[in-house]
Amino acid sequence: MDAEATVGERVRAYAWPRAKLVGGAVAVGAVVGAALLAALVVAGGWAVVGAAQFAFALGTLAFGLGLLGWSGSAMAGRGFENMQEHLDTNTDWTEADSRRAMARVGGFGGGAMLATGVVEFVALGV
Amino acid sequence: MVSKRFIAKRLLLLVPVLFGVSTFVFAILHLSGGDPARIIAGQRASEEVVRQVRQDLGLNDPILVQYGRFLVDVVQFDFGNSYQVSKGNPVRQVLIARLPVTIELALYGQFIGLALGLPLGILSAIKQDSLLDHTTRIGALAGISVPIYWSGPLLILFFSGYLGIFPAAGRIGSTIFLDNSWTLLGMELPLTGMVTIDTLLLGRPVAWLSAVSHLFLPAITIGVYSMALVSRMMRSSMLEVIRQDYMRTARAKGQGAKITVMKHGFRNAMIPVITVVGIQFGTLLGGAVLTETVFGIGGIGTLIVSAINATDYPVVQGAVLTFALLFTLVNLGVDITYSYLDPRIQQ
Repeated sequence: MDAEATVGERVRAYAWPRAKLVGGAVAVGAVVGAALLAALVVAGGWAVVGAAQFAFALGTLAFGLGLLGWSGSAMAGRGFENMQEHLDTNTDWTEADSRRAMARVGGFGGGAMLATGVVEFVALGV
Repeated sequence: MVSKRFIAKRLLLLVPVLFGVSTFVFAILHLSGGDPARIIAGQRASEEVVRQVRQDLGLNDPILVQYGRFLVDVVQFDFGNSYQVSKGNPVRQVLIARLPVTIELALYGQFIGLALGLPLGILSAIKQDSLLDHTTRIGALAGISVPIYWSGPLLILFFSGYLGIFPAAGRIGSTIFLDNSWTLLGMELPLTGMVTIDTLLLGRPVAWLSAVSHLFLPAITIGVYSMALVSRMMRSSMLEVIRQDYMRTARAKGQGAKITVMKHGFRNAMIPVITVVGIQFGTLLGGAVLTETVFGIGGIGTLIVSAINATDYPVVQGAVLTFALLFTLVNLGVDITYSYLDPRIQQ
């Protein structure tokens, strides 16, 4: 980063790649969540509310796993890297890669939760 | 000196961890099937009663609302009442009663792991490729590889069945009864729930001996894995450290070998070992579930097993989150120790 860059530019350089990564995953999750919901209702014969609740729970599974994996990597990732290095079990696993992957998984789950949650609200007429 | 900013940053990390665990638990319980309303009302209850229970529990609300309500309850550590295991009692109360048992077991396991693993690792490194080193390596491999559900019964068979020197189950002798409180300077204080400490507080050495002898086999069972990992890490880390220039300089200035290793080598070699202690505390807690079941100890581990068998969802939620909280707090402690040993980490 250029030493003379303004605060705005620095924030943009920091936030944009991260927002793009998570935002992309949220969008994909929303589309997949909505598609799963439609498939359960149309092809599976489920009631809209039941299908939305099931799809939402699947979304929370991915979101929870992603969030737990992301924060776990941030918290204990350095320790895992150390352990692999010292026990000669290097698998090329790194904290940074893990955080990126988990942010994608979490974003995907969050998108699915958002889409199915909104559909259920609309279906229930809340 | 550990900076407050560093501690605050690590504390902030606890929030997404616990949020992640709560969300994960919510998802698993909603996907695992089984109707909580039916479990509470009983198998013979009429549909009308089950419907009423569903309404009371808020299971007819949109799932987003249920999720929000669940998170609000989790923040307050309120998981409602137990359905089956401790029917009608608040889960928080059940957990508070069982938690000291598991903490006591995990602490003793960790203590055994460190007390045996550190010296073995150091000796292994100093006497590299000697008979002691090879023996320790084989012992460590065995410790990592042997599962608790096998080593536990084996220890019971040998030390309890064959030698008869340690009891096979329980936390204290069946004829020993402890009071509910102890007195300090005329004030009546509650006991900790950890029998080895409570017996000391009550000034009962015979009961203390009984508690220690009951805890010995479970703590060894759970501590062996920890010992194996710690000794391997210590050996590897110490081998790296003893080849450093500052170690050679210390020796060249006339310092004895033992003092050089303990004064200059030990602290530096401990840095990677400390991180492993934090990580494998999770394994220790997982091991507590099996160890408590094998040795008939009524801690959170046995509670989880009973709650899963009885589909008692609130207890499962509470127990899993308690384990997650314990794990994250231990890792916070490890991070602080780590940054104290190596202040560069704080940068």
